[in-house]
Amino acid sequence: MNPHTAETASNLITLLASFMLVLQLLLAVQSMLVTNIRLFALQSLLLAAIAAVVGFAYGAWHVYVVALLTIVGKVIFLPWLLERLVRQIKIEQEVRPFINMPASMLICGGLTVLAYVVARPITSLERLGSNTLAVAIALLLTGFFLMINRRKAITQVLALLTMENGVMLAAIALTTYGMPLVVEIGVFFDVVIAVMVLGILVFRIRETFSSMDVSKLNQLKW
Amino acid sequence: MLLTFILVIPLVAALLCLVVPPRRLVEWLNPAAFAVLLVLALILCRAVIASPGKALTEWGEFLRADALSAWMALLISSVSLASSLYAVSYFRRDLAQAALNPRRWRQFHVLTPLFAAGMFLVVLANNLGVMWMAVEATALSSVLLVALYNRKNSLEAAWKYVMLGSLGLVLALFGTILTYAAAIVQPRPEMPSFNWSSLLAMAPQLDHHLMTMAFLFVLVGYGTKAGLAPMHTWLPDAHSEAPSPTSAMLSGVSLKIALYALLRFHILTAACLGFGLGCRLLLCLGLFSMLLAGPFILMQKNLKRMLAYSSLEHVGLICAAVGMNSPLTVFGALLHMGFHALTKPVLFFAAGNIHQQYHALEFRRIGAGLAHTMPITALLLGLAAVAVCGFPPFGLFISELIVIAGGFRSHQAWISVVILATLIAVFCGILSKLVGMLLGPADSRAAREAPTVSNVAAMSLPLAVLLALTVGLPDALFKLLDQASGIIRGTP
Repeated sequence: MNPHTAETASNLITLLASFMLVLQLLLAVQSMLVTNIRLFALQSLLLAAIAAVVGFAYGAWHVYVVALLTIVGKVIFLPWLLERLVRQIKIEQEVRPFINMPASMLICGGLTVLAYVVARPITSLERLGSNTLAVAIALLLTGFFLMINRRKAITQVLALLTMENGVMLAAIALTTYGMPLVVEIGVFFDVVIAVMVLGILVFRIRETFSSMDVSKLNQLKW
Repeated sequence: MLLTFILVIPLVAALLCLVVPPRRLVEWLNPAAFAVLLVLALILCRAVIASPGKALTEWGEFLRADALSAWMALLISSVSLASSLYAVSYFRRDLAQAALNPRRWRQFHVLTPLFAAGMFLVVLANNLGVMWMAVEATALSSVLLVALYNRKNSLEAAWKYVMLGSLGLVLALFGTILTYAAAIVQPRPEMPSFNWSSLLAMAPQLDHHLMTMAFLFVLVGYGTKAGLAPMHTWLPDAHSEAPSPTSAMLSGVSLKIALYALLRFHILTAACLGFGLGCRLLLCLGLFSMLLAGPFILMQKNLKRMLAYSSLEHVGLICAAVGMNSPLTVFGALLHMGFHALTKPVLFFAAGNIHQQYHALEFRRIGAGLAHTMPITALLLGLAAVAVCGFPPFGLFISELIVIAGGFRSHQAWISVVILATLIAVFCGILSKLVGMLLGPADSRAAREAPTVSNVAAMSLPLAVLLALTVGLPDALFKLLDQASGIIRGTP
């Protein structure tokens, strides 16, 4: 690998990662469920693109497998599954967050700054771009905020998935060659099964409570 | 082949439970499988003791068992055996009372061995990524078990459990990845190994900044799964709403398995950065969990929730004892894991019996005089409660004494004093609630219990084993725990 390719790849990864962050912020202010799911699919597509760039730049064939799995799983299968769930339980209506849009935008901005502050002292990753680490942490933090800010069970699942995207971004971009293949595949299947389990639960909650509003799940206290 | 068998047998049991039609066969399949696993775990322990300082490996380093893993495998198989034995009579009554439909009943018998298989993989996997996957697998299988009854409360508990659990696991995955990134010290052509043993061998060269951050993420992540305060909020809900055999497994081993995963990272971090950071954090979280559990037990109105908070207290004690990091306290922590795993399931089984008799778990609705209406359950519940409060002649007295004495010996007297104070608070809470429930005049209209052999056996056998181990801790077990605490303290 010549230094020129490495530099281009590094720049490209940083660019795509920052697009992922932009999509995350859009998710934070977007209120339609189906649009949210599509934004997540787009974010996953960017993740797959980053994996492909890493695979190409470092000649690591198994990162291509990760890219392929991401496309099949997170760009096609999971969004399809979630959209089907949304149609089945007939709730296209808007999600009502606890905190209003401008305020949540501001909070997400603050969390991103925090992520950069946290990632700054870690200089050993300069070569791989400590920017990417900052973006990964920002995805984690804003995903967490998204999760506590939403009432609907499905949007909480989506928030969890975007956090997972952040973690996978770290896995692909920070460790140069990605993780060992067995781990990548295992993590992938775990996530898919997790979403299916969550789907079952969402369905049962909807049946029993005739609502998907998790703020109604408040019977159990200390 | 031993390790492979331990992993394959529960999977085969799950598969058989899925396809075998007769109900009689299915309900005895799990106890049979776990009995075989208990024997295998004992063989594994013997093999590990026979070659101190060395670990058993299979599939070329992929599976690895040292003294710590062997001890955990022993705990998993014994608690699962007791719980599946109890499940036989428990679900017969549930089916008779139509509290559960046959489909859900089968679901339980398929998911329980899967849950156990996940836990076995956690302790036997050498690769840290695979270990994470296994923890996630245990979380997913147990979520469906918590939601088994499909009542409003159990769904709420399952939702909280799965959301907080997944959140914790995402953080743990991030920490795991950072650990891997820390192993890439300089550009080299091949990928570094993700095996725990090889990471430990190169621990001093790991990137210090990244390891610090990785440990923090893993601590919060696996700490959530281990139920450490303040990430414990899912714990009382899930443990109280799950069917009693599952509560026993969640409380008896699942918490300790998450703690085990945390300990593996603790050992790694300590080898890289020294014991300071990790021990202090474990100590803080452990003590905080203990302090928090006390008041919640004192004001608790629900039997199973009280038991769940008692688990929180015991996990806190184990965590704090490891954090004190003296030879005595770490040994005491490991011993305590075992004794608690033998006691807590009995309490949950008794709570299950009471629930099926009274259809309630609130102390107010159960009333008093259980000793008259349910004499056997009341007796065993009383004995187990005395044991869990740390009273002689039961083993938890000894393990708690070892921890407290270890604290005084290693000049951490104030920690021992705090632990002692919380133990006393918990003791007051549990016994005052239970005395009111067990003794006193009974409602003469209440039906008397009809005990079955498997039910009584599942409840009394663990207590008998506990007593036997207290009277004389076998030399082999002592050696095993000594080796395991050596691994945790980095002095194998």
